[in-house]
Amino acid sequence: MPYDVIIDRLPIFALFDLKGRREDLAKWAPSLPDFPGKPNTMTRTEKTALFFIGPDRWLLRAEIELEDALVRALRPSEAPADISIVTVSDTMTFFRITGPDAGAVVSIGCPLDTHPDTFGPDAVTYSEFFGLRSLILRCDGGFDCAVEQSFGDMVADHLTRAIA
Amino acid sequence: MMNIPCPYCGPRNEGEFAFGGPVKPDRPDPNAVSEEDWVTYLTQVPNPLGPVQERWWHVKGCGTWLTIWRDTRTHDIVDGPSDAG
Repeated sequence: MPYDVIIDRLPIFALFDLKGRREDLAKWAPSLPDFPGKPNTMTRTEKTALFFIGPDRWLLRAEIELEDALVRALRPSEAPADISIVTVSDTMTFFRITGPDAGAVVSIGCPLDTHPDTFGPDAVTYSEFFGLRSLILRCDGGFDCAVEQSFGDMVADHLTRAIA
Repeated sequence: MMNIPCPYCGPRNEGEFAFGGPVKPDRPDPNAVSEEDWVTYLTQVPNPLGPVQERWWHVKGCGTWLTIWRDTRTHDIVDGPSDAG
């Protein structure tokens, strides 16, 4: 019996890789969303989301239309030495897996426990997806899984085969 | 598969980690030890039957390096991580 899921390959997002202490980043770019308090969680605003993905490591995701405005606000090329801001918009491909069986499909390629008790609505983390380093996060009704963009076609093929 | 306790992410599947090798003893002063001890330090890797201290890199996760004690007979993680960074 096939899985009851919808898989969409999402359009490109504006992505910024942020490194440094949260106070230093917030001081440099006050327009950033509130920083998540717990590791592997995120905060969201209407059009942006800030992921806490590692020690002093953050990923800002926004709609691509906001990329130029964010570059102007974050000023990556002028950032002080104790922080790093790098535009990485074109490095990741996002897949959105939604539907009643979304968790089952994600678990085919990912070893994470995605039960809502352990992987809540604000959860985001790097893990493994079909053997690749992948960003996994919750979205409405399912999960977003992001892989390095050059593996996008391969992961699309894996997902097609997984739900066949 | 092992569940390795990342100090940042919690227990994670072994597949997310890269093995960094056993922790070697501190590097001795080559001028203060015998030739035999120096060659032993250079060439012998700890490989006990039982607990061994190892480095692991959470390469597909948060990027943290950590140190654990793993029992080579059972793969049980008997202690750690004692550090992270």
